[in-house]
Amino acid sequence: MGLASKRHTVEDVVQAQEFFHSRGWSDGLPVVPPTAAAVEACLEWAMLPPEHLVGIEPVRERPITAEKLAVNAVMAGCLPMHFPVVVAAFTAMLQEPFMLHGPTASTGGCAILIVINGPVRDELGMSGSFNALAGSDRATTVIGRAIRLVIYNLLDARPGDVDRSTLGHPGKFSYCIAEDEGNSPWSPLAADFGVPDGASAVTVMAAGAPRQIMNEWTTEPERILDTFVAEMRANMRHYSIWPGNYAIIVPPQLRSHFEDAGWSKADIRNYVHATAKIRRGEWHECGKGAVVGDRGEREYGALSKPEDLLVIAAGGPAGGFGAIIPPWYGNKSHAVTIAIGACVDCEI
Amino acid sequence: MHDAIIGERLGLPSAGIMTDKFISAAELMARVLGAEGYPFVTITHPISSAGEAALAEQARIAAARARDIILGANA
Repeated sequence: MGLASKRHTVEDVVQAQEFFHSRGWSDGLPVVPPTAAAVEACLEWAMLPPEHLVGIEPVRERPITAEKLAVNAVMAGCLPMHFPVVVAAFTAMLQEPFMLHGPTASTGGCAILIVINGPVRDELGMSGSFNALAGSDRATTVIGRAIRLVIYNLLDARPGDVDRSTLGHPGKFSYCIAEDEGNSPWSPLAADFGVPDGASAVTVMAAGAPRQIMNEWTTEPERILDTFVAEMRANMRHYSIWPGNYAIIVPPQLRSHFEDAGWSKADIRNYVHATAKIRRGEWHECGKGAVVGDRGEREYGALSKPEDLLVIAAGGPAGGFGAIIPPWYGNKSHAVTIAIGACVDCEI
Repeated sequence: MHDAIIGERLGLPSAGIMTDKFISAAELMARVLGAEGYPFVTITHPISSAGEAALAEQARIAAARARDIILGANA
């Protein structure tokens, strides 16, 4: 297999760390040296030639090849079997509605949330259960980190270079979760975006940090959602008023109440769409009255339409803890879902 | 910067406006777009909390500098 990347020789794995860090090729954590054999193994697993064009970075018109993705995937700790998910996630990020440059460059501190659906979750040992948002398993951790290193090394989005985040958030290290489909009464998230049952898929969303909620004192779906919605309103009051994709993470304990009441994801989306609203004048109460102007009574919704809410089943079996994940910057970037290994050009 | 450089390439005389906290980002963007040294207007940061008078002053500075860049004076 003819790899095009420049080769470097180091004495051992310790020297390799210093070599990569000294060149700004890591997020600060150790990296797995991307040997030719490891990179080729990823490409072979995904059945992609090194020169395969995954897409073109839209602002600089920079071609992104499968080989360069594989180099960064290996560095992040990916095994070959993880690589097709990395390719799918980055392919989704390159779609025009995602507007890749904004989320990687903005002062707003965005990270790329990746949600995995379908059989690949079990094949790769992913867990959407305990600690779902923070290193619940090897596969989601390294896949999320691979995307971070791709952004670093192929898009120059290092802090202070292209990445101008004022604060950022910890999800930048890795922000990948698998939906807990096996324990959920609902259709998978990817199905909400048109991916057929039985197919594996990734959804990417330009996302702020998760904001945790807790409500264990009711079984009524409306009251549970009122807590999620209150946190969405807080985000609109304290961060950004603009509508966009929001995600909510619903754990098993809360899901059971929705299931008992016969609530579908569509019911949840409709309720949140109808209630997650604030008046612009509320900004007077949180120090931002200077930009209320004469629009104080104007109402703003968190969602332009119910379908903009990503309802995700994940979390450990006990606890009424959920989370909302707000959009990076309203509708500037849209969540994108694609099937893993989707063959665009092949004959069926 | 991206829009300004693309505008130039399409034959539209352009001038990008950056606040001084984004000078390095502007220079980086020009470099990666193959336009190293492309001149741009610099105003003070931040503008989002600037009052009317300060904003008007920054606009006056930006307009004058943009005119110079577009006309090729002191570019």
